[in-house]
Amino acid sequence: MRKFFIFLSKYNTYLLFVIYCSISFFFMKLQNEKTLTKLHTSGLEFSAVINEKLMNLTYLFRLNRENERLMRVNTDLLTRVLNFETAAVDERNRRKILTDSTFNPSGYLIARVVDRKFSDRENMLLINAGWKNGIQKDMTVLVPEGLVGRVTAVSENYAKVMPVISTDFKVSVVSDSSNCMGILSWNGGREFIAQVEHIPISSHLKLNERMVTSDFSTFSMRGIPVGRVVRIKPDKLFYTVDVQLAVDFSSLTQVLIAPMKREPEKIKITTDSTLNEQFP
Amino acid sequence: MSKAFSLSLILLCIASALVQEFGLNRLTFFTVSPDVVTIFLAFLAVTAGQRSSVSFGFATGILTGILSGNMGLNMLARTLEGFIAGYFHIPEDSHATAKQKTRRFYSAIVFAGFCGNAVIATGYNPLGLLPAYRIFVLGFLEALFTFTLAIILHWFFLKKSLAD
Repeated sequence: MRKFFIFLSKYNTYLLFVIYCSISFFFMKLQNEKTLTKLHTSGLEFSAVINEKLMNLTYLFRLNRENERLMRVNTDLLTRVLNFETAAVDERNRRKILTDSTFNPSGYLIARVVDRKFSDRENMLLINAGWKNGIQKDMTVLVPEGLVGRVTAVSENYAKVMPVISTDFKVSVVSDSSNCMGILSWNGGREFIAQVEHIPISSHLKLNERMVTSDFSTFSMRGIPVGRVVRIKPDKLFYTVDVQLAVDFSSLTQVLIAPMKREPEKIKITTDSTLNEQFP
Repeated sequence: MSKAFSLSLILLCIASALVQEFGLNRLTFFTVSPDVVTIFLAFLAVTAGQRSSVSFGFATGILTGILSGNMGLNMLARTLEGFIAGYFHIPEDSHATAKQKTRRFYSAIVFAGFCGNAVIATGYNPLGLLPAYRIFVLGFLEALFTFTLAIILHWFFLKKSLAD
């Protein structure tokens, strides 16, 4: 027994190290547990409050640039409205959207980006709207220019957004002219270029085609602009397509949060394997 | 360890975690930023020993983990940083010169910073960078930035503590 205590006192630092590492591994394993998630959202809330105060300080100095940016957005929007009014396809598309029952048509929420991290340790946006304002996990975040990302964590007053330029982000997209469908993801590298996969080599995709979100996405409503095709590289079966993203992530200050897409039956039929047995 | 000293260490531990999370994490060059928590742990390891640095590493890991939303990985990385920095401890009764102490302090920062970064790089890679690039190139860069910050902090605040 004495030897054991001597051993313990001699190697207590190593023992502490092993205990701490074990606890760390335990926490890593329980990362998605309810209690830990609660702790994380509290941390997020605190972090967001401080970051908002810090951002407010710098916001005042950037008002001039912000006004210029809004002017550009307004011009862009005006051009788009004029184009829509003259295009024959507009009416048909609008009708389609209006009769679409897959999303809740109540208004968009507006939020301000209070923190932005783009580093090798963290890549996320923090917005100043939380579950108190009706924000839910998996809601779509966008700006008039296009898709920004999806909500991944929500606290009372803030929400964490995984941007399109995150390696874990994937969204189903379709090209507006040739209707080619694929999965858009970002593989790192330049922050304004994303990749689209699974477009068959037999499709007629062309350069400069606009990519928008498709109806296949589980979180995003269809028709949100994502970007423009800038490079098409044929592979064995599929094209590898580079898309220049529509959103400039370096200058995001205000974002819109789209109403939650509700498709319980679609999710059920794609996830529940027992349903297959009912259809011979 | 006196009560006042322990209390000041706890305050420094919290302050360094907050400064890192709300200040230095915004100061990114080539996607990496200097790490003041590593400097705190290295200083603690050199002056107070490995056991303290491991424990405080674990504690700062909890704090930075809660604030960043990646608790387990941060705890592991910071504990390892404290443990590695602990090998550069200078006993109180040693006759080490200020230069020797400073050299050990800087070595602790570089080694601990590099290893801590390697742990985080292995467990979390949000920008989808190549693991080897992320561990070696960015790890080296981060250690370099942290080292530069340590030189500045040493010049202004730590000179007295690491004197003969």
